[in-house]
Amino acid sequence: MQPTVRRRLLVVLASLTVALLVADLAHLAVADGVRRAGGLVLGPVQRALAGAPRDDLAAIESENVRLRALAADQQHRLDELGRLDELLGGGAATGRTLLPARVVATDVSALGGRSVTIDVGSRDGVRTDSTVVAADGLVGRVVSVSPWTSDVQVLGSADSVVAVRVGPAGTLGTVSPPAPGDSESRPRGSLRLVGIAPSTPVVGDVVRTLGSVDETPYAAGIVVGTVSAVDPDRGQLTRGATVRPSVDPDAIDVVAVVVPVARSTPRSPTGARR
Amino acid sequence: MRPTLLGVLRTAYVLVAALVVATLLPRLGAEPRWVPDLVLVGVVATAVLRGPVHGALVGLLAGWVVELVPPVGSPLGLAPLVMMLAGLVAGFFRRSSSRSPLRAPAALLAAAAVVLVGRLGSAVLAKGSVELVDGVWRLLVTVLVGGLLLPALLALDRALVRRRLG
Repeated sequence: MQPTVRRRLLVVLASLTVALLVADLAHLAVADGVRRAGGLVLGPVQRALAGAPRDDLAAIESENVRLRALAADQQHRLDELGRLDELLGGGAATGRTLLPARVVATDVSALGGRSVTIDVGSRDGVRTDSTVVAADGLVGRVVSVSPWTSDVQVLGSADSVVAVRVGPAGTLGTVSPPAPGDSESRPRGSLRLVGIAPSTPVVGDVVRTLGSVDETPYAAGIVVGTVSAVDPDRGQLTRGATVRPSVDPDAIDVVAVVVPVARSTPRSPTGARR
Repeated sequence: MRPTLLGVLRTAYVLVAALVVATLLPRLGAEPRWVPDLVLVGVVATAVLRGPVHGALVGLLAGWVVELVPPVGSPLGLAPLVMMLAGLVAGFFRRSSSRSPLRAPAALLAAAAVVLVGRLGSAVLAKGSVELVDGVWRLLVTVLVGGLLLPALLALDRALVRRRLG
């Protein structure tokens, strides 16, 4: 071949390739045709190379795969049903209107912590700043709502602070993710409890949400976690502590959104009734 | 133009290499990072003897073979273009210090680097994810295997040309 012919051929072929690349990026049908042709011609060779099994064996294997998938699917549904039962029968559900939902997407934020997307939205009655709970306790709060999905900021995200009551006495405090300036080292995934009043938390104390007006952003009395370690006494006014959250943020599946119910009847003082 | 023995052998090598890399080695349990880019070795073997234009042409055609061996690449046509650039770069090693035995491996290293950069670049442009460490391992394995394979390929090529079969 002459060098000029070769060069011309190269230019033609390269332009064809670029054209095909553009066609594929634009999702034109030409590219799909080429793709299919590749599989059609070279697929059988690959099957032979990979030692494709005989047909009856293949049939049984595919049946096996199908049945296994079916069994896994059923097991998954059973698990989900169990979790839903647990959630709706648990302590967080008593006296509240709950909207069951399922996590459809999760994202680990660059700042630390995690946000998840659940499959209920404004059409289902979810409002921003609703509380989200799981069977074990508090998951987080709704930060943004679209018609069919909502984004939830999970407890332990970079700027989530929850007002809590600690232990049987109900001492006030706040729970937040470990800040960079924290003097104590805390295990990964745990939270930092800072007391408001001078008090000392005890290991094993249950931490519950304090609650706020109209149950937004956090409804009252929902379990956040348990105190797993108390910071050493360094002469500070209030002792900090480490809280192990009761919900594993990496394994949230079935959750429920607490639908805030505004009070409409005034509370009557006790003893005023006759 | 009559097909020469060398041309037939070269085509067969590219086809077999593409199939081995895509099918046989994964089937035998080789991890992706340990699979050398055998097609690239063949392209470099040709390019280093015949120069940039020939190298680019062979690279483009071989790239299409790799692209069309299922799983067909996506986007279609990117791998051939990258392989064409790799062949072009390897072709520039034809004249420099022609007697050194390190010339062909150096060309292979440059070509493999072009392929790696092409993969990284497209991953960045498409906002995909890419395993940089795996890519570097693959480059090293390719250069290592190429160092053993290239002298044989070059000797075969020269022998066929000498006997007027190329």
